[in-house]
Amino acid sequence: MLRESKEDDILLRVEGLKTYFFQRTAVLKAVDGVSFSVAQGEAVGLVGESGSGKTMTCLSLMRLVPQPGARIVEGEIWFKGDNLLEMTEQEMRAYRGHRMAIVMQDPQTSLNPVYTVGEQVAEPVRLHLKERGQQAMARVLDSLRAVRIPRPELRLGQYPHQFSGGMRQRVVAAMGLTTQPELLIADEPTTSLDVTIQAQFLRLIRELQQDSGTSVIWVTHDLGIVAQMCDRVNVMYAGRIVESGRVRQIYKEPQHPYTRALLDSVPLMGARREKLYQIEGQPPDLRSIPEGCPFWPRCPEAMDKCKEQYPPRTSLGSEDFVHCWLTEEGR
Amino acid sequence: MANRLLEVEGLAKHFRGGGNWLSSGGDSIRAVDGVSFSVEEGETFALVGESGCGKTTVAKMILLLERPTRGAISFQGKDVSSFRGGSLREYKRLVQAVFQDPYSSLNPRMQVLDIIGEPLRVHQGMRGRDLRMRVGELLENVGLNPVTASFFPHQFSGGQRQRIAIARALALRPRLIVLDEPVSGLDVSIRAQILNLLVDLQRDLGLSYLLISHDLAIVEHMSHRVGVMYVGKMVELATRDEFYGNTLHPYSNALLSSVPQPDPDVPMGTTIGGEVASPINPPSGCRFHTRCPIYLETNMCREVEPEWREILSEHLTACHKVEPAVV
Repeated sequence: MLRESKEDDILLRVEGLKTYFFQRTAVLKAVDGVSFSVAQGEAVGLVGESGSGKTMTCLSLMRLVPQPGARIVEGEIWFKGDNLLEMTEQEMRAYRGHRMAIVMQDPQTSLNPVYTVGEQVAEPVRLHLKERGQQAMARVLDSLRAVRIPRPELRLGQYPHQFSGGMRQRVVAAMGLTTQPELLIADEPTTSLDVTIQAQFLRLIRELQQDSGTSVIWVTHDLGIVAQMCDRVNVMYAGRIVESGRVRQIYKEPQHPYTRALLDSVPLMGARREKLYQIEGQPPDLRSIPEGCPFWPRCPEAMDKCKEQYPPRTSLGSEDFVHCWLTEEGR
Repeated sequence: MANRLLEVEGLAKHFRGGGNWLSSGGDSIRAVDGVSFSVEEGETFALVGESGCGKTTVAKMILLLERPTRGAISFQGKDVSSFRGGSLREYKRLVQAVFQDPYSSLNPRMQVLDIIGEPLRVHQGMRGRDLRMRVGELLENVGLNPVTASFFPHQFSGGQRQRIAIARALALRPRLIVLDEPVSGLDVSIRAQILNLLVDLQRDLGLSYLLISHDLAIVEHMSHRVGVMYVGKMVELATRDEFYGNTLHPYSNALLSSVPQPDPDVPMGTTIGGEVASPINPPSGCRFHTRCPIYLETNMCREVEPEWREILSEHLTACHKVEPAVV
């Protein structure tokens, strides 16, 4: 599944994205200069803790940042040859829910309780594919079948409350996938699911991805999901990508102390650790991100330089990179 | 075996409901349906299972927040339901709890001093300087600065709030703490801090934990013995090493292989289909038979409830397919 991405193979390229929240007394730098790309058919992980900016990055991609309050202040988002940030709202609508779709964390709130499941899955079909009646119905049934909902003919006339959590999440995925988008953004889609149901959902997305060649961005704090589902991973901290690389590379030889700490702090089945590695302190307050590298107050290897200047991008070969003075100085 | 602290025998809780608007349905939700286990002095016993398996209801019965429909809970050899007055107060002192959500388990209008101090005031009549000293000491025990005693919950992060909840649980020097998903609401980097703190406290104070969790990696890290529940029943119980090394029940196996491992070279195991059965009219026979990958084609699994039996020393399970080791 792992593929080397060539330039013409790139589906999405984000350059220097900055999304800020403007409050009366402060500016919250939720996304502060994020660059990454997603190749066709590739699964890319955005990993980080709450407040690291991963969800806000995704909402920026869809141009759905909370209004008023947040604004994309800088950057480029290239979807194939088009910069999404230069499009009119009208043009953007042709992308959202059609060429790119998002599956959110909570299937309770992403479905409308007063419409039947069939009507909701049909909406993108009517809107984007301009299909009606029998034709639309057939497509809806196909997508419900694709996400393995048993007896879809019966189910499409039912309301969300008649579905279990796992089934609801499948419906949301079906909504996202009916139009066969080129990019699927999965924002912690399994957090509210039980383990066996989560495993079913992960498998389903992987199969759909293999069948249709859809690219997927996985947003999660679960390092297990990333290891299982992604080709590449971007580790985010305080609104920036601090390390980016192929999954196997990152899990075997993490370069950034934060990545290393994250991997060491999760209990691993089978590997009994006496004590878990403990990252001291808290993720930074976005209103007052420390000068220099934002991780330095928690970093066991912080040097004076780290407190003064944000480390530059150090290339680790192909597209892999890290922002850390230790690697930069070490070469 | 070490000293038995808590013993649960044939515990059951049936709730009303499950009917339609015309009939109540009677006591037809069998949230917990005959569960037995024990917690020894100084050990962590983990109850594992998916939502609706009844693990939280078991915890509530132990905390006297729900009255069992059937079965008995005994603490230090005495039947808990016989406790009255002083002995009841003593039980409530010795058994404490830490819940999942540190945002709703702390009163936002109380200072930390009062949150942690309340049990001390109520149970021990502690006041003034003594109270402040003891609260300061507890805050230090959980790694917080005693100065924070005058702060309110909103001034703390999630991990710090969970530390406050732990300090409150420790205030009365309990023997047993029920930990109901203690780190599920916390960030990855904060989880390790809380788990390490819990392990240290157990070692230093000789505490016993009843850990309720759905995270099998955390359970492996924390516990000495493990019990797996499925739709109100215990399906497997073993020491940690036995459970993770020699899993017997197909549901336990399914749970273990469903966990995505944080290692790209360990592929995901086979998953099971279907959904967790409902405790309203649970499946007949073995409750897991509707999803079981090794379900017997004979009607055995569908019709006969499997017996809860010891297969190996200290390793119990309820499955028709598992034969006891020949002794």
